[in-house]
Amino acid sequence: MIINGVTIDETFAEAFPMKGTRLIITALNAKWAMISAQAFTGFATSVIACGCEAGIERELDPSETPDGRPGVSILIFAMGGKGLAKQVETRAGQCVLTSPTSALFSGLDSETEMALGQNLRYFGDGFQISKMIDGKRYWRVPVMDGEFLTQEKTGVQASVGGGNFLVLAESQAQALAACEAAIEEMKKIPNVIMPFPGGVVRSGSKVGSKFKALNASTNDAFCPTLKGQTKSDLSPEVESVMEIVIDGLTKEDIDKAMRVGIQAVCDLGVENGIRRISAGNYGGKLGPFHFHLQEIMA
Amino acid sequence: MSSLIFTLKSAPAQRIDCSPLTSDLLADKVVSDIAAIELVIGNGTERVDSLFEVSGDDVTDIKFVNSTDKLDFIGRNMTSGTINVEGNVGGYLGLFLDGGEIEVNGNTGVYTACEMKSGQIKVNGNAGDFVGGARPGYKNGMTGGTVIITGNSGDRTGDHMRRGMILIEGDAGDYCAGRMISGTIAVLGDVGAHLGYGMKRGTVLLTQTPSKGLGANFNDCGSHTLAFLPLLFNSFKKLDSTFSSVESFSRVQRYAGDLGGIGMGEILVKI
Repeated sequence: MIINGVTIDETFAEAFPMKGTRLIITALNAKWAMISAQAFTGFATSVIACGCEAGIERELDPSETPDGRPGVSILIFAMGGKGLAKQVETRAGQCVLTSPTSALFSGLDSETEMALGQNLRYFGDGFQISKMIDGKRYWRVPVMDGEFLTQEKTGVQASVGGGNFLVLAESQAQALAACEAAIEEMKKIPNVIMPFPGGVVRSGSKVGSKFKALNASTNDAFCPTLKGQTKSDLSPEVESVMEIVIDGLTKEDIDKAMRVGIQAVCDLGVENGIRRISAGNYGGKLGPFHFHLQEIMA
Repeated sequence: MSSLIFTLKSAPAQRIDCSPLTSDLLADKVVSDIAAIELVIGNGTERVDSLFEVSGDDVTDIKFVNSTDKLDFIGRNMTSGTINVEGNVGGYLGLFLDGGEIEVNGNTGVYTACEMKSGQIKVNGNAGDFVGGARPGYKNGMTGGTVIITGNSGDRTGDHMRRGMILIEGDAGDYCAGRMISGTIAVLGDVGAHLGYGMKRGTVLLTQTPSKGLGANFNDCGSHTLAFLPLLFNSFKKLDSTFSSVESFSRVQRYAGDLGGIGMGEILVKI
């Protein structure tokens, strides 16, 4: 398949099951809601070493938030429910509870729930107050700037992590420009995040390593400087490869995000140095969710 | 199916225990069975059809017509369905209510919503003493659900209340929120003396400063903007009550007490 001179490889991206939730952070103004959300989602690019993958889904208008203040919705994913609960609790405790004027709410209704503010309430040292409103329990924790309001629980749902595609370009600058265009479009799709810095990862990995301590290592087949040293997957004119990783609440959400992202890259076309779109295919070793590029773009 | 209607034939001289007339206890009964139920009246019993005209057959939608304040225990232990009452009712309306809705177009006697667990009671009139309270000698009042009183409530509203919400559109009597353990009471009108006496936890939300003032056992914690109040007002919007149209506010004067006890209760007064 070729779109605007860009070859779409006949391959698929491999993704794996995760547990995910959506949280809503509000604050006195949009600036402080975003600061808190950025702190919460910091160092959350990959479960390989961060324990979770998290990102900002979008900014919320006051009319969309539970307390009528400006807010930010974030998605956070981990490999299991326990790991997710631990990450949510520590990040909420250190990054939202501490952030001036913030409040924290669940953004996902689900039969399966996990603690959100349930344990953070103990910071109140006995002065915390419970309020049951519309069947949901909230905690009011006294803090130095007033009260920290948090919902007791948030929903958890089976999700998908690691959807991806690779952008193969003639230069680093062209690969980056294409990825930026893709991310701009993908951010418009709900229920997904691109957890890496700016949504783009330049150090895509393969499963395993020659070093026993590592379970992932550089994707040498797509490293342009190794064309003569390894079994390369790159043609001579490709000088830079960048990857976009997508986590989503459902496989369909990732499908949509990949479609608009790849389309945005292809719109730049071969005249802007974009040669191929490929994907992280690990021969079925990574996960059960397969995103076939040509089917997505058909 | 049409509403199951109990029309009181004449004002009874003795009190009637109406607790057998709920959707739970009438399920699978035909009208003839219902008519033959023996109700306790005074120190004896009488058949339902000797006290009420019975019509209709939908046991999940019960109506009492020509009701008087001699009808006690309406909706006791009910878990689903609706009861609508035209007229006044006696004591213990909705005792142990655990679901469903009761609406009274009249006044209620003592212990309305006593030890209620969930569901909703709406009184389009005045309510007697001990709304949402505990039975004498018991320590836990209502533990869930919503009570709406469009008129005034008597003394000791929310006595020993543990969870849930009581919304008074008019005034509340003396000792409102007395011995309250938790939950929320909101009053649009005035409240009587000894507000929050013995209050442990919970919230009393007022739109005006009580005319009889607050007790010395409540300390002023200052004026604050509380983030939970907009959520609370938002939850009122779905209610068939004046509360649904009250303009949301989050700026309140906060008083904590009863400091004669653990002092974790709060009285919030709109400023």
